[in-house]
Amino acid sequence: MTMSDALIYLDYAATTPVDPRVAETLSALLTADGDFANPSSLHAAGRRSRAHVVKAAERLASLVNVKPERLIWTSGATESDNLAILGAARARQHRGKHLITMPTEHKAVTDPFHALQQQGFEVSWLHPDGRGRLDIAELEATIRSDTQLVSIMHVNNETGVTQDIARIGEICHRRDVLYHVDAAQSLGKLPLDIGNLPVDLVSMTAHKIYGPKGIGALYVADRPGCTIEPLLFGGGQQRRLRPGTLAVPLIAGFGQAAEIAASSMADDFAHLTRLRDRLWSGISGVPGITLNGDPEHGFPGILNVSVADIEGESLLLALEPLCVATGSACNSQLQEPSYVLRALGRSDLEAQSAIRFSLGRPTSAADVELAAERYREAVAKLRRIAPTRAE
Amino acid sequence: MSSEPYSATVRALFDNPAHAGELPGQDPVSIDDQGLRVQLFAEFEGDRIRTLRFRAWGCPHVIAAAEAFCAGFEDRSLADLDSFTAAELMQSLAVPVEKTGRILVIEDAVRSLGTKLRGTLTTKQD
Repeated sequence: MTMSDALIYLDYAATTPVDPRVAETLSALLTADGDFANPSSLHAAGRRSRAHVVKAAERLASLVNVKPERLIWTSGATESDNLAILGAARARQHRGKHLITMPTEHKAVTDPFHALQQQGFEVSWLHPDGRGRLDIAELEATIRSDTQLVSIMHVNNETGVTQDIARIGEICHRRDVLYHVDAAQSLGKLPLDIGNLPVDLVSMTAHKIYGPKGIGALYVADRPGCTIEPLLFGGGQQRRLRPGTLAVPLIAGFGQAAEIAASSMADDFAHLTRLRDRLWSGISGVPGITLNGDPEHGFPGILNVSVADIEGESLLLALEPLCVATGSACNSQLQEPSYVLRALGRSDLEAQSAIRFSLGRPTSAADVELAAERYREAVAKLRRIAPTRAE
Repeated sequence: MSSEPYSATVRALFDNPAHAGELPGQDPVSIDDQGLRVQLFAEFEGDRIRTLRFRAWGCPHVIAAAEAFCAGFEDRSLADLDSFTAAELMQSLAVPVEKTGRILVIEDAVRSLGTKLRGTLTTKQD
């Protein structure tokens, strides 16, 4: 536990603290005594800044086994998703206007698809099974001769459910369809050998792996037909695909966070698995509790549970000092039931009682013990307050 | 604009809902509206409300509002129930305006309780 005021932070799927080593690198590049220059400048200071960008690209590329020049820096996964989806759909629309995705994707994916629908594209929304997994046969059956793009994420941000991106990509490539993967939740946490996967566009972000907020990347495969149109204009940076002065400190921080993730991934995974199992063991006996997700295909850093006959907002407050998410973190100010859980077939009541515990590198066994105890107490308290339901 | 969705009063009432529960042998008034469920239990002597209890299923503002009502109206007259308004409670608890409907559910429950208690009192006097 590293948070102040005795808060127990269990919302690492929303964001992570910056690793102190990364923070040191980042801050050293901000001021006059650091390499603050514009990396596009040709003078010596610019070249020194550029060296940091090159090194960061090599570090991130090494983590995911791609060539550094295939990475485009963005402001984060939301921008990467938008650039991939809007950019690819527009670049390939002369070949067809049919696109495929799932309603359980992050809003950064579903909203660009909604925007494309408004612009005359046709989108097929593939519904998951009750655990959140894609029906591969349905995907295969949905692809048509005019399908141009499939976007299906690696790890779901709410449930932790993983999709078989290798199989999905293989089907897409066999049918000459581009495959975009939102890897915001899997980068640096699960092996992601992009160089040996049949994927074309991969969205990544730094702040889920103990890097800074405000920096992400998009991988664009070097293969025929894999082209995207830019969303921004105004400079020649990054092959004109994403112009704008590069944020050198953030990029350097991302690179270092990627390098640290590469070296600690196996230990992190084992650590998260132990903690997730301990947490589930501590709360699975609560009457009416349901696991949202797929225990066989789930990232261990996320545990999402619903509980019968409990109001979600009150549960969240009763759980303090735990910092957990209800619904998706990005829209948790809205008290609407999670659209992801609704797509899994959960009722409004089940969905709105959902709590997502997401664990991280700094999480301790004591943290999850306290979380389990607090959860049991909160549910019991709210049940004591609630009227008995008429049978 | 505040980053805190709950006032200190709401937090205190939610954390310690001393009046949550039932009164044995008393039928509650029950309101089930807008996805919320509220029950109010009361014991009275003459025209004085002796004890109030509540049960509630809803957001923290609803639970805090039910607790505030019960704490504020014990040992008062039945007629005082007419002075209860959701608007006043919303102000004292700093309830956001988008939750007006939820606090109005509490007001409906209080009105129903007043009607019920007056009916019981009339029956006793008869």
